[in-house]
Amino acid sequence: MECALDAQSLISISLRKIHSSRTQRGGIKLHKNLLVSYVLRNARQLYLSERYAELYRRQQQQQQQQPPHHQHQHQHLAYAAPGMPASAADFGPLQLGGGGDAEAREPAARHQLHQLHQLHQLHLQQQLHQHQHPAPRGCAAAAAAGAPAGGAGALSELPGCAALQPPHGAPHRGQPLEPLQPGPAPLPLPLPPPAALCPRDPRAPTACSAPSAPPGAAPPAAAASPPASPAPASSPGFYRGAYPAPSDFGLHCSSQTTVLDLDTHVVTTVENGYLHQDCCASAHCPCCGQGAPGPGLSSAAGCKRKYYPGQEEEEDDEEDAGELGAEPPGGAPFAPCKRARFEDFCPDSSPDASNISNLISIFGSGFSGLVSRQPDSSEQPPPLNGQLCAKQALASLGAWTRAIVAF
Amino acid sequence: AGGGCCCCGLFWYRDSSPKPHLVNRFCILLAADVISTVEFNYSGDLLATGDKGGRVVIFQREQENKSRPHSRGEYNVYSTFQSHEPEFDYLKSLEIEEKINKIRWLPQQNAAHFLLSTNDKTIKLWKISERDKRAEGYNLKDEDGRLRDPFRITALRVPILKPMDLMVEASPRRIFANAHTYHINSISVNSDHETYLSADDLRINLWHLEITDRSFNIVDIKPANMEELTEVITAAEFHPHQCNVFVYSSSKGTIRLCDMRSSALCDRHSKFFEEPEDPSSRSFFSEIISSISDVKFSHSGRYMMTRDYLSVKVWDLNMESRPVETHQVHEYLRSKLCSLYENDCIFDKFECCWNGSDSAIMTGSYNNFFRMFDRDTRRDVTLEASRESSKPRASLKPRKVCTGGKRKKDEISVDSLDFNKKILHTAWHPADNVIAVAATNNLYIFQDKIN
Repeated sequence: MECALDAQSLISISLRKIHSSRTQRGGIKLHKNLLVSYVLRNARQLYLSERYAELYRRQQQQQQQQPPHHQHQHQHLAYAAPGMPASAADFGPLQLGGGGDAEAREPAARHQLHQLHQLHQLHLQQQLHQHQHPAPRGCAAAAAAGAPAGGAGALSELPGCAALQPPHGAPHRGQPLEPLQPGPAPLPLPLPPPAALCPRDPRAPTACSAPSAPPGAAPPAAAASPPASPAPASSPGFYRGAYPAPSDFGLHCSSQTTVLDLDTHVVTTVENGYLHQDCCASAHCPCCGQGAPGPGLSSAAGCKRKYYPGQEEEEDDEEDAGELGAEPPGGAPFAPCKRARFEDFCPDSSPDASNISNLISIFGSGFSGLVSRQPDSSEQPPPLNGQLCAKQALASLGAWTRAIVAF
Repeated sequence: AGGGCCCCGLFWYRDSSPKPHLVNRFCILLAADVISTVEFNYSGDLLATGDKGGRVVIFQREQENKSRPHSRGEYNVYSTFQSHEPEFDYLKSLEIEEKINKIRWLPQQNAAHFLLSTNDKTIKLWKISERDKRAEGYNLKDEDGRLRDPFRITALRVPILKPMDLMVEASPRRIFANAHTYHINSISVNSDHETYLSADDLRINLWHLEITDRSFNIVDIKPANMEELTEVITAAEFHPHQCNVFVYSSSKGTIRLCDMRSSALCDRHSKFFEEPEDPSSRSFFSEIISSISDVKFSHSGRYMMTRDYLSVKVWDLNMESRPVETHQVHEYLRSKLCSLYENDCIFDKFECCWNGSDSAIMTGSYNNFFRMFDRDTRRDVTLEASRESSKPRASLKPRKVCTGGKRKKDEISVDSLDFNKKILHTAWHPADNVIAVAATNNLYIFQDKIN
């Protein structure tokens, strides 16, 4: 269907409608808000798929120009973690981001890819969390990369992690961002449509009247199935010992990915920092109580902490230090997500885009008040500190818009 | 309050010629506020309207009168009263609108008339009764009501009933309140004439007309976690003959038929009506336009009709897989959904209605257009409810919307449609060819010419 508005404008308009419905006479109209949330979901799916496609294309161009570089900014971690089997060498080269030079050259694109990936991670976390998937995704991805022939299959099970791997190593270059089905016009990632949007029932994607994702996207069952067959048996043990599994953190802090670069023997852990901070802001985040991410890994944790700010400094200057969790996970003061992040995210965004973040921040602050006002409401979403980043709002929009209409 | 009645002589009349020869006689009645519901009573002699200001205006059909032969069938204002007032829910800091969402008549059992009217939260049973006699000759008070001095009373007399000008009184007999958390969208009187149902977004309650402090919850689709909410109830109606059967429609375009004999809580449906979605017509707004805004049983009880944003569908109760008829109301709007979303028109809730013999159905559209579909002849017509296009004693011209290409004479292009002029509420007389069409705050009544 041709639509005069692009996905972003639709999101903006929809949020405006939801916001104005709060002040309408007669109270919030549940039916109308529910319908608006469907439009929001549809627009977001298209929006994310477009962004992934665009960044994938950019990444492709960039990688073709740049030979792979070592990840010199990563710390040397591999043998510090106890219990790490030698089979780690089996894993293929996986790196976060491109080479340092490439990053310096295309910081915005990489940064955006990273952020987009984090958005996507969150979706998948919501799915995986349902299934109590024990193994960190990084593990499975690492394992999957070690089996190039079966890479497509294994990678397909954990598309989120796959996205973290830029198509660096030749055999994996195009693959991680391929859709689950090979096709002439691949989408960068299979979208997590209904499953993510109905986080509590990913097993029944058809129960949510989900639009079919853009053609070629994987059925949600595929995206939701990864927990069924995780990575080879050896790796989960290793990674679980080394780093806490995503499920350990609970829903909010669970987006953590670990990859191992066999060339440099660098283990890299990426945490979804801003979510982490938000989670720490709320009372019941388990990770905040821990001084270290996992038992008996103080060295690893320490290395991780060291690595992260270092990486930050070497990456693009636009990086907001507070954004990607420069603070250690334990007891860090909350650094509000800066709204400017949204503009970084979409440098060519229309004026409406900044309105989105305005609206979300208005809405975010008012929402918990809205929910608490209604005696009939069931569990409230955890209160979020500070202002919401629009992109975070976009990320969590699925469950979030449900909560919007919940009152 | 209600307005005056102005009549012109236009007749609506169908003969055997290939094109229906439409002549209309109509009343235009001007309300002070936007009309929000229209409903004929069981005999069709009374027509009730509710408006956004909480008022109910009842019109009565003129009886045949030899001295005024042309006045047969005119509807004149019969009674006006304030049904609901705006309220404030202090607990939730919410204002409750006084807008009348639905009016449903009760079958007449004595000289008085009863109707149910509801706003978002409260249903009221009103008794409308006539008073045409007055007692005169009281002992203790004068004719003008002043008390008489007891010492002046020297004789006793029996008061006499004398005729007076007809006075119509409306009094609230029952108030059914505090049973709905969400906004009431439907009420429906059962064929047993003792009970009725009321439906909000998530729940349906069953009431007894005599009992106001209790209601039974018979449908509850509220999920344990509101974040899992995927659909709401949009309309509900009792079967016209089977007092244990009712249907409710959802925002997902499905209809569930429930039998109250099967269990106390009718969360499990007996029948489930859904037409599979056409994947090729998928869009951002697919969910919105598939949401059902009205459901109506046929008078026979064999069929039901649903209205979604672009079409009306007729369902056979014996076939759940798909409707037996689909009529496009304004398919030319499909390419305009984006703008209609922006201006909120896509959320408009159109109603639909059957004629007395179930051979025709009617529903409204934009630009003060309304559509009629003849199920037997498969013909449909677009008519307009406006003063300008309805001249006295002239036929109502069928209208046509030009969807593309060259616009013919008398056609209207899609872009020049006025989306503020919408006809959401229509009603058809239960026996005769008389229709009531609400266009914002104007009520049009069109009649068939009786030869």
